[in-house]
Formats: sequence, C-alpha cells, structure tokens
Amino acid sequence: MIELQGLTKRYGDTRVVDDISLTVEQGEFCVLIGPSGCGKSTTLKMINRLIAHSEGKILVSGDDITTLPPERLRRRIGYAIQSIGLFPHWRVADNIATVPRLLKWPSSRIAARVDELLALFQLDADGLHDKYPHQLSGGQAQRVGVARALAADPDVLLMDEPFGAVDPLTRDTLQAELARVHRQTGKTIVFVTHDMDEALRLASRVALLNAGQLVQYDRPAELLVAPANDFVRDFIGRADLGLKLLSRRRVEEYCRPAQRTRNNAIASAPITWQVDADDRPMALLGGRLGESDIARTVVNPEWIATPEMSMKEALSRMVWFRVTALPVLDNEGRLLGEVTMSGVMGHRS
Amino acid sequence: MSVSHVPTSDAANVRLVANRVLVTLLCAGLLAAWLLPFATMSPNRLASGQTVGLSAALSAWQMSALLVLCAVLAIAALRRPLPRGLAHGVVLLASLGLLLITLYSLGDYAQRTLAEKSPSARVSQGAAFWVMVFCCALAAIDAFQRAASGWLLRLGYMLIAGGSVAMLFASGHFDDLSIIREYANIRDNFSDQFITHLVLVGSALGPALLIGIPLGLLAHRHVRLQGTLFSVLNFFQTIPSIALFALLVAPLSALGNAFPLLGEWGVKGIGAAPAIIALVMYALLPVVRNTYAGLKGVPPATVEAARGMGMTARQVLWRVEIPLALPVMLSGLRIVTVQAIGLTVVAALIGAGGLGAFIFQGLGQYAIDLVLLGAIPTIVLAVIADFTLQMLVVLSKPAGTR
Repeated sequence: MIELQGLTKRYGDTRVVDDISLTVEQGEFCVLIGPSGCGKSTTLKMINRLIAHSEGKILVSGDDITTLPPERLRRRIGYAIQSIGLFPHWRVADNIATVPRLLKWPSSRIAARVDELLALFQLDADGLHDKYPHQLSGGQAQRVGVARALAADPDVLLMDEPFGAVDPLTRDTLQAELARVHRQTGKTIVFVTHDMDEALRLASRVALLNAGQLVQYDRPAELLVAPANDFVRDFIGRADLGLKLLSRRRVEEYCRPAQRTRNNAIASAPITWQVDADDRPMALLGGRLGESDIARTVVNPEWIATPEMSMKEALSRMVWFRVTALPVLDNEGRLLGEVTMSGVMGHRS
Repeated sequence: MSVSHVPTSDAANVRLVANRVLVTLLCAGLLAAWLLPFATMSPNRLASGQTVGLSAALSAWQMSALLVLCAVLAIAALRRPLPRGLAHGVVLLASLGLLLITLYSLGDYAQRTLAEKSPSARVSQGAAFWVMVFCCALAAIDAFQRAASGWLLRLGYMLIAGGSVAMLFASGHFDDLSIIREYANIRDNFSDQFITHLVLVGSALGPALLIGIPLGLLAHRHVRLQGTLFSVLNFFQTIPSIALFALLVAPLSALGNAFPLLGEWGVKGIGAAPAIIALVMYALLPVVRNTYAGLKGVPPATVEAARGMGMTARQVLWRVEIPLALPVMLSGLRIVTVQAIGLTVVAALIGAGGLGAFIFQGLGQYAIDLVLLGAIPTIVLAVIADFTLQMLVVLSKPAGTR
C-alpha cells in the first residue's frame, strides 16, 4: 500500500507537484496520467526517492520513506523504465539478478528466481538467459526490464512509461502480459503513461494530473461516465468518450437471451438464430441492415462475440459486417445469447 | 548514351591491380634497392666510408630469394589469380620473409666483409636497407587493415615477427654490424638508461592516473568545474616540452635549496623531478578528458535504473559507470603512454637520463649509431605500448557491446 499525503515538489517558486494526496491500496494497479509536464513522472520518482519531495509525506507499506536509507527503500520497490535502462554489459540473467545480488541472496536462490521470472515472462524458450541486451528485440528487452523490477519480489512496482519505445503491436502484447502478471502476482503497481487507452486497459484506478495537481482519482469507468470537469472530458477525448467507455465493458454485461429455431422458417421475433442439434448458430434470420426482416445471413466465424470480448470490438464487428446483432458463443461454439445494436444503446450505468 | 573519358590504359590498370598500396610500396622498395646504398663500409668508427649497393652486398641465393618474394608480392597485388582473402595472407607471409631476408643479408654481408679487414673497420646499414624494412612493415600493416583481421591474429603475427628478429640478434648474427658493436661498448649503460626510461614513464603515468581519473570524475559530476579545469589543462598542453622542462628547473632548484629535506628526496632543478612533473602535466589532459568523455557516454537511463534498483553511489560508479566508460578511459591511457615514451627522450636534456641521453650524446659526437641506439628502442617501446593498450581497449569493451 502506498499513501501520498499533501505531496509537494518545489523547484524555486514553481510547484511541479502541488499538494497531491492519494492512496494506492494493496494489489491495486494505479496509473498516473496527464499531459507532458503535469508532474506524473516526478510523483513516481519521489516514491522511491530518486527525487526528494519538498513537503508532505509518502508511506510505503505504512513506513514513512524518509525513515529508511534510500538504497534500502529502493531495493524493496521494483523499478522499471524504458528498455535502454538495461545494463548493456550484463547478460539477461545478470540484469534480472541485479537486486537479489544487492540483497546478497545465496547464488542458488538467485538462479532459481531468474529461471522462475524468465518462465513467467515466457523468455525461457530461445536461450535468452545468456544473451546481452543489444541482442534482444524491443519487446524482449522490455520484458527483461519488468522481470528485473520484480526480481526481489517487491510488494510495490513503479513503472515509468515502460512501453513508450515499442511498436503498437508489441505494446499490445506487453500490456496483455503485464495485466496477466498483475493478476498472478497481486503486486501493487504505480504506472506512468500519457496514453489514455493504455491507462484504461491496465488500470484499476486512474489518477489524472494537470499542472502538478490531482484532478480526479477514480476507477476507469467512473472517469468515463462521471468526469470531474471539462479538463478530464477533454483529456479522455470528448469525441470518443462513448467508445472508450465501451472499451472498458465486456460483452457478457450486454448479453441477453437469444431466440432460437431449428429450421429456417420465419420466426416471430425480429432477430432469430437458426441453430444445429448442438446449439451452434448456423444463420441469422432477420437483423440485416437495409434489408427486409426475412433476410437469412449465414453465420461467419468473423462476426461472432465471446463473453470476454470488449463491447467496443463487438460494436466494431457489427458495423463492419452490417448486422444489428452478434451471437455470443462459449468456448465450444454454442450459443450463449446475443448482443444487439439496440442493447448497446440501452445499457448505461 | 554514356561516353567514358577514362583512358583505356587506366581502365585496364584498374581491372588488373587490386592493391595499389602494395604496388606503390613494392616500386618504392625496388627503386630504393636499385638507387640507394644498402650498406656502408668505413675503416673506423668516425671516418666516413664507401657505400655498397644491394647487388654487391647480397649473395646469389639471397638475391634470388629476394626477387622471388618480390614477384610473389607483385602477383598478390593483382586482381587475379589469387582470391582476396588468400592474397592478404600471402602478403603477410611474403613481407615477413622479405624483412627477414633483408636483415639476414645485412648481417651476413658484415660477417663476410669484416673477416678480411682490420678489427676497427665497420659496416653499417644504408638508406636502401631502411626503406626496404619500412616497406615490409607497411605492407604487413596494410594487409591487416584490408583483411580486417582480429587482434588475436595481429598478436600472433607480431610475436612471430618479433621472435624471429630477436632470434637473429641473439644468435650473434649481427655482432659485426657497427650499431651492435657500438651497443657492446655501452652495454651496461644502455640497460641502465633503458630502465631509467621505463621508470620515468611509469612514475609519470602513475600520478597522472591517480590525479587525472578523480579530476575527470569531478568534471563529470560538477558541470561548473569543467570550463576552468579543461582550460588549465589545455594551457599545459600548449607549452612546448623543452620550454616546460626548462621552466621547471628554477622553481624546483629553489625549492630543493630552501628545504634540504626535499633536496635529499630528489627534488632538484635538474634530473628526474622536473622531468616527471612535466610529464604528468602533459599526461593530465588526455586522462581527464577521456575519463570525462567515457563517463558522459554512459546512457543516463542506465544510471537512473541502477540508482532506482537500489545501488549506492559507489556501486553505480564501480558496477555501471566505470565498466561502461573503461574503453574510452583506456584509449586515453594509450595516448598518454605513447606520448610519455616520446617526451621522456627530451627529458634527457635536463639530466633525467633515459634513452634520450644516447640520442643527444650521439648528435654531439656525430655518431649516428649512438643516435639510433637511442631512437630505435624508443620507437619499439612506443609501438609495443600502443599495440598492447589497443588490445586492452578492445578487451575492455563490455561483452554486450563489443
């Protein structure tokens, strides 16, 4: 758990961080976000005392950070930055072993921990153990950076725009992996980014900063449906606020029972699914844009939805394939229910 | 439509010759062998003697071996028939062979001629000899550059070449040469001065590193210090070495006279003390500058990560900054070492001793052999130091970035 109480950083007369108070609960994924120069990186670096704070208090797991020597404090807190932060003269295994070595763990324990982390980040396959950072791809280097930060099993992990320098595709994979690792390890994470989509995807809480001040600290959904002021609305992106909201929602929240039939006779309901003996959808009867109610559309493996899919993606598929409904399928391909265009509009919390 | 303005003979030349440097060296060597004297015969140490050409000095088999090796080099310089990789190897072997034949022939000529002359007669090497030796060395260096060979191969070649030459010397083959006879006369003094030279260089490098590395660190940590520090060090560098040696004489002798205890420790106007102080002053700039540049080259993110992981300032310095800065720091040491070996020669002028003593003594007596006895070991020392430190620079590059 991390508590910031009235945290302020002054350089001369400028207050780059101005009276910020917030609490990151145990196991929370807190994303600090805001425009350039809003003080988000400074706030992060004050937590592990890379930058000294001017006023206020920071508590990590209940201890005031100024009561500990900075090196002891930092060894308790994982720290990951962009991939250039890897030590170029050390192999991957040595890089990961940095903090355990500083803590003087026995070498057998270090070796075991390195292997465990390589496995956790799926880096154990290609003999990466003995490679040097310059031999890694951007995504691999980034994983090593996060693995290194987790090496001594810290309760708290600080990440300063760790995925800023990788291509969008790799970033997507890395975000999914970080979300998985967060679920598996239950670490408390403080993560700095300027990318709202990244924040909405990863965060359990978002702290939106502007000009050194905390504007709103809330769950991502709250931020979207109840923005504190115009700045928040503008920063999230007024134009696609609705889509951002849908990106946080999952299909299962919108799924409702589907009307089934075993033959292709026109049913009473406007949207009916023709299913086979195993309850697998074969065709959509009706529900086709711009055509009569009796249109029959064969189910295409592309225009289906799964319960875990985001509503943004489901909506996107409906638009692309010009249908007003998608079948929601379980793992075996059986029909669970349907999501419809009107359903998207109806739901609001 | 394109018209070539290149004369046909040139075009043919470009197609034919792959290694123009080698062709040039070969022509220079052959021209020197034909026009310049290979050796000089004189009745005694100081009298000027008569010159002997290559054809008169060499026996039949030596001459034919020389010509065969030259022909091999000429073929290696052509685009065909040898493939490039093989040609470089051939050049390396042939130029070493040529060097050894040249050296051997000179010693052999001295032995044959002096057997029937008076004991005071002398044979010394002529201009053609030097040109041929340098052409061989340059051909080998050029071949290494072209082949882009690794340092292990270079080291092996250096050891074999140096070893063969040393064996020729040790076997007494050159004992009749004038320069070796000169050496025999001053043998004890030579080793004393050689050691003095090394001690002077070493005692200048030690303090230069001890002062220079912390100063470089300081310049890196405190930006405001840089300007003053570098302008002072630059100023030292602009003083001519003879002037700096001379300038130190007066204050040091005053110091030695004022405090007799210091005088007993060797602080005097002439001798080692001013020499070492001047050498240290010259060495400081490259050491400080390269330490500073090396540390500045360490990515800031790497240092931030090291601190963020919980390394103490000392751990960041020793585990991250110094290892990453080491190649640049060592190339500073390389510059300084080679520079100090050369400057120590001048230090002989203020009575510090060293190999420079022979050079100035020889210049005074117009005894060229004595000058060479000072100059050649200095050059060899500088080349060895340069090569060794170059290898250390390569080895010190972090494995990940080599």
